[in-house]
Amino acid sequence: MEDFKFLFKVVLVGNAGVGKTCLVRRFTQGLFPPGQGATIGVDFMIKTVEVDNEKVKLQIWDTAGQERFRSITQSYYRSAHALILVYDISCQPTFDCLPDWLREIEEYASSKVLRVLVGNKIDREDREIPTVVGEDFAARHNMYFLETSAKEAENVERLFMKIAEDLMQQARSKDLPRYDSNTTNISGRTSAVSDNSCCSKLA
Amino acid sequence: MEDDTKTRFAEKHQDLQQELDKLKSQEEELFKEMQSFITQKSHVDAKIKTLGKIVPTLKNLKLEAQTLVNTIHDIAESSETISNKVRNLDRARSRVEECQQRVGDLIDLELCSQGVQTAILNEDYEKGAGHVHRFLSMDQSLLQRTATDVENISSVLKAVRTLQDAASQLRTIVQHKFDEAVKMEDLGSVERFFKIFPLLGMHDEGITKFCNYLCGKLEETAQKNLHTALNTSLSDKRYNVIYADTLTLLFEGLARIIDIHQPLVETYYGPGRLLSAVSLLQKECDKQVKRIIIEFNKHRQVNKKINQITEIGKMSNSSSFSKIEKFDPKEVDILIQEITIMHVRVELYIKFIRRKVLGDIEISTAVAEERIKSIAALDKLINSSDLSRSKHELLSHYLQLEQYFMEESVSKAVSMDTPDNSQHTSSMVDDTFFIIRKCIRRAISSGSLDGICAIINNACGVLENDFCAILRGRLRQGYPSGYLDLTQAYNVLQTSIQQGRLQPGDTEQIRTAFIIALNNADASTEYVETLCDSVLYDVQQAIPNMNTNERGKLESCLSGLSSVITNLRDVIEYGMQQLRASAIKPRISPWVDSFLNINHQLSEDELSEYEAGESFVQTLIMNLDSLLSSFKESLTSSNYDGLVKMLTTEVTARLEKVILKSTFNRLGGLVLDKEVRALASYLTTTTTWSVRDKFARVTQIATILNLERVSEISDYYGNEGSLTWRLSPPEIRTIMGLRSDFKSDDVRRLKL
Repeated sequence: MEDFKFLFKVVLVGNAGVGKTCLVRRFTQGLFPPGQGATIGVDFMIKTVEVDNEKVKLQIWDTAGQERFRSITQSYYRSAHALILVYDISCQPTFDCLPDWLREIEEYASSKVLRVLVGNKIDREDREIPTVVGEDFAARHNMYFLETSAKEAENVERLFMKIAEDLMQQARSKDLPRYDSNTTNISGRTSAVSDNSCCSKLA
Repeated sequence: MEDDTKTRFAEKHQDLQQELDKLKSQEEELFKEMQSFITQKSHVDAKIKTLGKIVPTLKNLKLEAQTLVNTIHDIAESSETISNKVRNLDRARSRVEECQQRVGDLIDLELCSQGVQTAILNEDYEKGAGHVHRFLSMDQSLLQRTATDVENISSVLKAVRTLQDAASQLRTIVQHKFDEAVKMEDLGSVERFFKIFPLLGMHDEGITKFCNYLCGKLEETAQKNLHTALNTSLSDKRYNVIYADTLTLLFEGLARIIDIHQPLVETYYGPGRLLSAVSLLQKECDKQVKRIIIEFNKHRQVNKKINQITEIGKMSNSSSFSKIEKFDPKEVDILIQEITIMHVRVELYIKFIRRKVLGDIEISTAVAEERIKSIAALDKLINSSDLSRSKHELLSHYLQLEQYFMEESVSKAVSMDTPDNSQHTSSMVDDTFFIIRKCIRRAISSGSLDGICAIINNACGVLENDFCAILRGRLRQGYPSGYLDLTQAYNVLQTSIQQGRLQPGDTEQIRTAFIIALNNADASTEYVETLCDSVLYDVQQAIPNMNTNERGKLESCLSGLSSVITNLRDVIEYGMQQLRASAIKPRISPWVDSFLNINHQLSEDELSEYEAGESFVQTLIMNLDSLLSSFKESLTSSNYDGLVKMLTTEVTARLEKVILKSTFNRLGGLVLDKEVRALASYLTTTTTWSVRDKFARVTQIATILNLERVSEISDYYGNEGSLTWRLSPPEIRTIMGLRSDFKSDDVRRLKL
């Protein structure tokens, strides 16, 4: 069994072609795959990071942006700890769809989910959405905001690390008092489900 | 001034002293080093002596090595000369071969040019094409060069021209003949000319023409099949899956075409041609699949149902009264079944194509890069096909319908809930898990891992949000206190549930509903566990070659499902707390509190009198027994254990409190010790786990109160391994203070 204290599910959503898969690949494998085909259904990656000397396992669900996969991807919202909503700063329509995505998030995700807005592809010259517009949208909807480039590896690490830190803080403040007297139980509900417990036995 | 000099002198002195010390230590070190040199000397001497002995041997060795080098050099030179000769010979031989080839070509050229015209005249196209093929296989530029080398240039050039003419003539004829054969539906001739194309170097034309012919055939059959499907009567037993059947027929037809013609293509066109053939066939496949799906959507009213579901979803979300009539989940049950069959057929066909083409690529391309390119082309062909798109749409429809089916069926199961007399639970548990299992199994039968995972996720949502919430809601009603008779309550509840609603205020019914909800939660934990195990097993059977990523995906979704158990445990815990507050605590407190009314400072006579009568503990046990037995029959065993555990905690805590409010003499302590033991042993018999731990404090309190003398505590306290004390030293002193016959000074003087 791996030794990690926390496990968080992070789900990426957003229109097709905004670079969700590239963000995940850049973060988990450190590469930028050119000519990436459209994702089919959902993809699944894992990366363990360290926050405050604690191992944190991030389970990253990379969803297909195309409409016809919506009923598959929606089923992952409910158990997500963090949702990353991605748009392409060089493509206005991907930004215009954000309210639709938010509506979907409202409908299916937990109200406590950590929501992050990401404007990707800042390496591109033909920007259509100024940074301040993205910032403003994020602020209005109570989201954390970041602009990234999966191609140039800009802010990608920071994005996921920030999420890991926030989620860990959240988990600690929420769960420590409750389980203070009974430390053995921590792995049960707090979101840290151990790797082997998946099919039957929970601690 | 003098002082200054003195201090300076002192400093100097100190410095000097330090310097001296340093020198001394250096000297010591040097001395040590010298010592070691001296000890090493003899050793070094011995070494030098041995080295001296080796020197002549080394000289010999050097000479011999030199001779060896010379010999090797000679050998190298001679071998160089030999290999040079061999190379020359080789060159000569290859020239001879080339020459032979040219002569052979010339002879063949002559023969071919003579034969080809006769063959064409005789309509023996195979023979003619054979001649052309032989001609094409010759190196054309070489042929020109040969022609200039040979004396009679004109005859060679003439032969070449004849053959070139014949080739183009044959090409036109064969194309024409092929088209004619297709028009005449002369399968024999179609195949005959199909085989001739590659001989004339028309591989691509041949494949294209032939595949177009096959596509035409395919279209014809597909149209006929679809027509039959559309005319199937409602009473036909395949009516409910007729579109799945039509789709199956189409794929079977395609698979048959590929299976039959692959060897033909491979023999006459060589391996590596399957991908281009398949991509031509795929166009027709896409067209036909689209047609079937359009008819399917139209006749099964798929989109209408999906829209209805979306509308219902929106309505319930905005929490206004639903204006749209919900339809019975059973209505979509059959449709869902058909969609899963259609989906799995598409899945299987795609797998079939992949396997076939990959096999062909495997044998035809040896270069890894080429192979990767071909595989990428295959993936692109499959992923961008309408077939794949249709597959994804089928899955999407399936998921939406299945979600509706699952949610509605579960809510129906809840609304039709009836207690199960033989068990401790009610029908909603069995029904809910039956439905969820059915849905997941159906997802598995669709053959799509993404579909399976999505349904597992949705099932998780239904269990956590709907199912657990309903159980919790019933427990929130609380457990009204007062006396009860559960068997009677059971019957009342049953009839009232069957009639419709629970009447609020009817405590018996609320009690029974409460107990059943508690039991339902407990039974559900087991169901979830079994479900997880069986799903994992079933998926492994259905999709045997999952890679680690796919497996991880599945396991992660299953771990979400098994975390429902945690939710259920919370529900049980919540129910137990409700029970404690309303049914256990208020009953137990007065029973235990009666301890305060009893004299614990007994004389010998009073003791025997007390023991003859009904003692405190007997009454308490009797009361507890009747309380527990009222629950024993109605609770599941693990819930009953939970109840006993909670009750034990309550009783011991309360007992501790009243003991601390009383005073004892020696005999009073003796009685208490006996009574505590009796109580502990009674509670042990009621349950499967040990209550000893919960009794630890009270037992230790009784032990202290049962001491002969203050000093006797040292038998129990302080020596290693005697007892793990749950009481702190101040607590022990307080408890000893309860003994009226212990002197407080003695107690204070105790060393604990």
